[in-house]
Amino acid sequence: MNNNTAIRVENLSKSFGDGDSFIEVIKNASFTINKGQLVALIAPSGGGKTTLLMMIGCVEKPSSGQIWIGSEKVFDNKWLTNQTRKIRREKIGFIFQAHYLIPFLNIINNLTLLPQANKTNEKFSKAKARELLKYFDIADKETAMPSQLSGGQNQRVAIARALVNNPQIVLADEPTAALDMQRSVDVVKILKKIAMEQKVAIVMVTHDERMLPYCDRIMKIEDKTIIFT
Amino acid sequence: MIHLAKEDVRHTLGKFIVTAMGVGMLLGIVLIMMGVYRGMIVDAEVLLNDLNVDLWIVQQGTLGPFAEASRVHEDLQYTIKSLQGIDKTCAITFQNIQLPGNKGKVRAFAVGYDVYGDINPINPARLIAGRPLSSDHYEIVVTDKTGFHLHDRIKLGRHIYTVTGVTHGSVTSGGDPLVYISLKDAQELQFSYSDKRIQTDRARGIINRDAHMVNAIIARVKQGYSAVKIAANIRKWYHKSAYTRKQQRTVLTRNVVEKASKQIGLFTAILIIVATIIISLIIYTMTLEKMKEISIMKLIGLPDSMIIRMIVEETLLLGILAFMFGNIFSHIIYSKFPKRVVLEIPDAWMLFGVIMAASILASFVGVKKVINADPASAIGG
Repeated sequence: MNNNTAIRVENLSKSFGDGDSFIEVIKNASFTINKGQLVALIAPSGGGKTTLLMMIGCVEKPSSGQIWIGSEKVFDNKWLTNQTRKIRREKIGFIFQAHYLIPFLNIINNLTLLPQANKTNEKFSKAKARELLKYFDIADKETAMPSQLSGGQNQRVAIARALVNNPQIVLADEPTAALDMQRSVDVVKILKKIAMEQKVAIVMVTHDERMLPYCDRIMKIEDKTIIFT
Repeated sequence: MIHLAKEDVRHTLGKFIVTAMGVGMLLGIVLIMMGVYRGMIVDAEVLLNDLNVDLWIVQQGTLGPFAEASRVHEDLQYTIKSLQGIDKTCAITFQNIQLPGNKGKVRAFAVGYDVYGDINPINPARLIAGRPLSSDHYEIVVTDKTGFHLHDRIKLGRHIYTVTGVTHGSVTSGGDPLVYISLKDAQELQFSYSDKRIQTDRARGIINRDAHMVNAIIARVKQGYSAVKIAANIRKWYHKSAYTRKQQRTVLTRNVVEKASKQIGLFTAILIIVATIIISLIIYTMTLEKMKEISIMKLIGLPDSMIIRMIVEETLLLGILAFMFGNIFSHIIYSKFPKRVVLEIPDAWMLFGVIMAASILASFVGVKKVINADPASAIGG
């Protein structure tokens, strides 16, 4: 595995239930995603996109296989650490369909919450948060509450939150689902720019084929297996 | 440093305060209940303390006028006074009466005493207007709670009584106001019959001997003598029951107030349990409202400790605020209660401790929800 690898998956399988209710969602998936890549993950509804995302994100336990985040092997038929949440906190950023910002925290506090949990210096984490807000052109909104921002602004804050801890990978679950076409394109362009500039691997689940041209690679789940196009 | 509980409370400040006020009112009632009990004890001891006597001599086999009927002859006071070690004595009667007030009958507890005797049961410190009784007949000293004023004229039995003095804070253990009349008037009120009955009794040759009965003889002991020993002596040689002041206090608190205090104690305990359940339900609902955020916090990697801290701090804050509102509420309304309510600081601190413990207990329901929250539920629809 070279230094450029952000995610490596080997023979990853996931099934639910047993007997008559046994369902296999992912079967022997193997792939590598490099730093700086924006990868689109597409599949029909119920095809296992979110499940794959959750397995890479150390949320859902795979049935078998191996996962590496950067150079660290985190799963080998079992979690190799009992602190998967610490891995998520330090190495993974999440973006959701809706912004899912904490409604009772203002924008700057939403961004510095995770660094605080990582015991990062407050001054440093605020500086980083302000830098991101400036980057996303919402620097004047740091004391605003999420309810006072538009959908697009909130989604930019959500992206900033995913990046505030300098993650190695960002997992985005249909980040443009709640946005109109123009804003969706804007968000995907931002993700592409971030991936390139910050050398972060971004896996983006999407249903919208119009977003695919902006992505570096397209990962498709077809009949439980992963195909790159 | 982000303080999650503080930020969450600030976000829903109005709702949080109204909730705390609601729980606070419940706690205020708990404080009032405790105050009613304390008031009952204070009231029960008013007459005992005002009389300030060392011995109570009552009918043999009875507990005395506060607990049950007792009759002894008034002359017993002279016999008792002749005993070695006795300084002063007084024959005394107690009876419930109804005073005809402007707004209907006023229930009162009348103390009858020998106006020219050794012991005056009216505590001078309580007299806020007028003077104690100075005549054997048709004078009455009332408590301000009865609604009567100085020089008011009150019809009692066959006669009109004039209010010569007004006291403040003189009540019985039941909260009834005390009034004071002369022993002769009290005996007439208590033991005299209707004209027809007297006529009939005379025709039958029956003489009303009850007119010189009293309910108790009270006595003060000379310095250097033991009230316990004198009481034992009276019990042995005079076939009466005799109680020291401590024993009479026990009779009052154990026999008269104990059941009421148990009842109030039970009410208080139930209210505290109800308050705990309500706080638990509020915290549970507040946690349920935040489940999406909690799942997201867990998903993005926030440790459980941070989220649990938020829940526990909010619960404790709710408890503290409710306690403060409860205190304010109880202090606003306690004077409106017809019976004496004594709010004591140690009781408030005890309730504070109980509420803090109840809040911690209540926070467990929220903490359990946090621990069981599935971070994966944050993703998808």
